[in-house]
Amino acid sequence: MKRIWSVVKKTWEFIVLFHHGTFVDKRMAVVRKEAFDINDNLMLLLFGDFLGIPNPMSYYMLELLPYVADDLESWERRIQNRKFIIAEKAAQYDFD
Amino acid sequence: MKRFSFFGGKGGTGKTSCAAAYALSLSRRGVRTLVVSTDPAHSLSDAFDIPIGYEAVQLRENLHGLEIDAAVEAKKYMELIQQKTLDLVSAVIVDEIKRQIEIAYMSPGAEEAAIFDKFVELMESAGDVYDAIVFDTAPTGHTLRLLTLPEILGVWIEQLIEKRQKAMHLMKMAARYDSYLADRIKEDPILGTLTARKEKFALARDLLTDASLTGFFFVLNAEKLSILETARAVGLLVKHGISIGGIVINKVIPPEAGTFFEKRRTAQEEYLAEIDGLFPSYSRVRLPLLDSDIRGVEQLESMAVELEALEVESPLAGTVKSGSGEGP
Repeated sequence: MKRIWSVVKKTWEFIVLFHHGTFVDKRMAVVRKEAFDINDNLMLLLFGDFLGIPNPMSYYMLELLPYVADDLESWERRIQNRKFIIAEKAAQYDFD
Repeated sequence: MKRFSFFGGKGGTGKTSCAAAYALSLSRRGVRTLVVSTDPAHSLSDAFDIPIGYEAVQLRENLHGLEIDAAVEAKKYMELIQQKTLDLVSAVIVDEIKRQIEIAYMSPGAEEAAIFDKFVELMESAGDVYDAIVFDTAPTGHTLRLLTLPEILGVWIEQLIEKRQKAMHLMKMAARYDSYLADRIKEDPILGTLTARKEKFALARDLLTDASLTGFFFVLNAEKLSILETARAVGLLVKHGISIGGIVINKVIPPEAGTFFEKRRTAQEEYLAEIDGLFPSYSRVRLPLLDSDIRGVEQLESMAVELEALEVESPLAGTVKSGSGEGP
């Protein structure tokens, strides 16, 4: 009885993990990517002047600097290294 | 009397003298008045012949003066940000940030924004110390931009807020199975800061467009260019919902000027008629051309007496037909 119970438990755990790995994680990864992409774009609107894009209120955007300071350098690198927009876009869809 | 009076117009028409004289006339009636120069090239201290700095200086009883120094205000703002950054992140990153702050300091809008911030701050905090604030503004173009700033930037910032909200919404969805991420987005200082800024713009806009609080006085000369520019500016301000307090026609050549000015005076009559025709609904005051420059409190005083007519509904009664009301 105990053996059977542990097998059932193991199987259930396996099912949960399988489901998570196959469906949830992948979906969440897409959502997560989308969220970070939107945030990167927002950063571009906020601090575009650091990259040479004029911003009508760069002066006011400075007060956001303390909160994004940690991420600023990596964002600049990310945004400057965007080479293949199409590939980037394609990666969002589940081709594999 | 309006709580906030702005004096503006084309360069060289006598804005500063009029603003100074008007402030003086208010203070003589016991109104606690602050006169503020927002022009980057200040001349208020020259008009009063008393040195005025970026902190309020008492000029006489009930009258204080202040010249907004954009560089000082911007510097204060930058230092505040640096301090805040130091509290939040490591010193290494602060060094990196310094570069960005310097870029923004040099950016074209910075000086304007600093002046704008200061004058909104003055308007907000005026209630306890002053009954009225008189602004001596920069020549028309600069000032119009300054006054319409909150409307333009309000729209822009709203879109930023929208975008951030969308990102946060997605972030929350993604964080359902990710406790680390959920922890990080629990509160969003960016959204908070943006919203606070938006509210500040909205408040500035409310103050500026409240006809019972704010009035814009145009100073012009009886000359073609001056009239054209004023007409354009009046149209723009009305479009943006800022009410016109009145029109000061400065440097009007008096009949006793003599034969040398005779021809100019005939032309002037035409322009004066044109002004009356263009702005029939605003109170108008004519100030004569003087035989000497105006400097110091004593000389401003005679001008101050004449400017009191600005607050009468229909000035120059009898000489021109004038309507009443807020404007076209």
